[in-house]
Amino acid sequence: MDYLYHLGVLFCIYVILAQGFNLVFGIAGLFNLAHVATYAIGAYTTALLAVELEVGFFQCIIASSLMAGLLALIIGGISLRLATDYFAIGSLAFSAVVSALLINWRSLTRGVLGIPGIPRPELLGIDFNQLSNFLWLSAIITLLALSSFWLICNSSFARSLKALAQSEHAAQTLGRDVARYRTWAFFISSLYAGLAGALFSYYLNYVDPSSFSLAEMVLVLTIVVVGRPGSFLGVCLSTFVLVVLLPEGLRFVPLEASVLGPLRQFLNALLLLVLIFINRARLFPTQRAV
Amino acid sequence: MGSEKVNGAIGQTSKDKELLVLSNVSLSISGLEILKDISLVVGEGETVGIIGPNGSGKTTLFNCLSGFHLASKGSLSFRGENITSLKPSDRARRGIGRVFQSPGIFREMTVLENMVTAIEGRYPLFRTFVPWANIHSSIKGEAMSLLREVTLESKALHKAASLSGGQLRLLEIVRALGFGAELLLLDEPTAGVSPKMKEQVSTLIERLRSMGKTIIAIEHDIEFIQLFCERIVVLDSGRVVMDGSPSEIRKSSQLQEIYFGGAREPRV
Repeated sequence: MDYLYHLGVLFCIYVILAQGFNLVFGIAGLFNLAHVATYAIGAYTTALLAVELEVGFFQCIIASSLMAGLLALIIGGISLRLATDYFAIGSLAFSAVVSALLINWRSLTRGVLGIPGIPRPELLGIDFNQLSNFLWLSAIITLLALSSFWLICNSSFARSLKALAQSEHAAQTLGRDVARYRTWAFFISSLYAGLAGALFSYYLNYVDPSSFSLAEMVLVLTIVVVGRPGSFLGVCLSTFVLVVLLPEGLRFVPLEASVLGPLRQFLNALLLLVLIFINRARLFPTQRAV
Repeated sequence: MGSEKVNGAIGQTSKDKELLVLSNVSLSISGLEILKDISLVVGEGETVGIIGPNGSGKTTLFNCLSGFHLASKGSLSFRGENITSLKPSDRARRGIGRVFQSPGIFREMTVLENMVTAIEGRYPLFRTFVPWANIHSSIKGEAMSLLREVTLESKALHKAASLSGGQLRLLEIVRALGFGAELLLLDEPTAGVSPKMKEQVSTLIERLRSMGKTIIAIEHDIEFIQLFCERIVVLDSGRVVMDGSPSEIRKSSQLQEIYFGGAREPRV
């Protein structure tokens, strides 16, 4: 039963993370490869605040989201001025910088040793060390996060982002300021990544840099591409398939565990490549000149 | 080549109220001077056609007016406000609308969503996040009524990409109207449009005129442009070389020189 709870919590974390990426990539059309870096910032913020300063649960998740958002504002301020392809390269470079900091800033992050002992909260007399209780807490937070995301998806803000992604010049002539809208999209998507990171820290009671590798970025990208970029329900469903069903299905394949892990990553990458190839015009539209 | 004003001073409007004023505007891109010392006044409610051979700077002038290129020299003012250094979105918010030569439509959206996106741009962003605000239904109502005017209401739920070239033009014009443009910059509104649709575009432009909108249109077809323009400005090599009524411009010998080096009758 604990394994099912485990899958449930993983689904909650990844669906928040993927929907954040869905906003910036699926709706705004920004190929942001720093999304997992902001997820890492959220996870480490919670780890440091909860372990070092014994800050409470809600304060930690709010601080983690805001910290990730703040970071996004810094990245956005620098790289959103770049054209979309260069923005992707800039965000990838930024992701590499965050990875290097997590490994090398040992006095703060303990490097590759990571930060252990992140205490799960105890709220209203409920002990969230019990996995079933933690799943309930994660589910409630996820429900709130997804509800707010659904509102954003159906808002004028999302339509403006879609308009900018489809014809930047036309959207500008309808009063949409490219930098302002994209910075907001980047900020909001990072709030979700930070929140997912905070939940991740509390769930594992431990964070280390290996949890925020490029493979993780590939998984998030695959979830959004499989679920159809911009689609709220599609991304929820693809998170379920890729985070819950696929690993479960692979358990029944008669192969060594050491092979299954890389096989799963290989399948994710293959799926991503095929879907990008099929939908390349839609995923990466060419902006016309004025 | 010198400038010719067929009636009055070149670049001046006959209207009482000035809407757009360009004062000695020049624009250089990569060291190449595309627009040279352009001075032009467009009055409120005026309909101005811009013609000129390929490469004369017509679209660049529109880019300069809508803010996609910033003038290297000179100044632009709209309703008396200096807009020289404003971004395209800020100029749009002040009432400068643009219809592109190659339609700038949000192709993955439906026709209705295209309209809704335009109209929503008039409202403060936070209001549209509030689910109980009745702003959505009023916006949809306005969008449908504008689509009805250009007989596109039956296509409202179709993807914009499925529209014909002429329908895309109509949608783009009516979308700018939905956003509240007071000055419409129409870049070859009939390019690639069937004769039947051309008539519809012409009717829409007439309707915009009757609404008191100011229009500046780039057009190659002088027969078409004289149907609705009261004034024509001729550009050549980045300069305003002629400015007058359509009949005066047609009669001018300078127009032949610009297009054909004076060898034969102009067929613009």
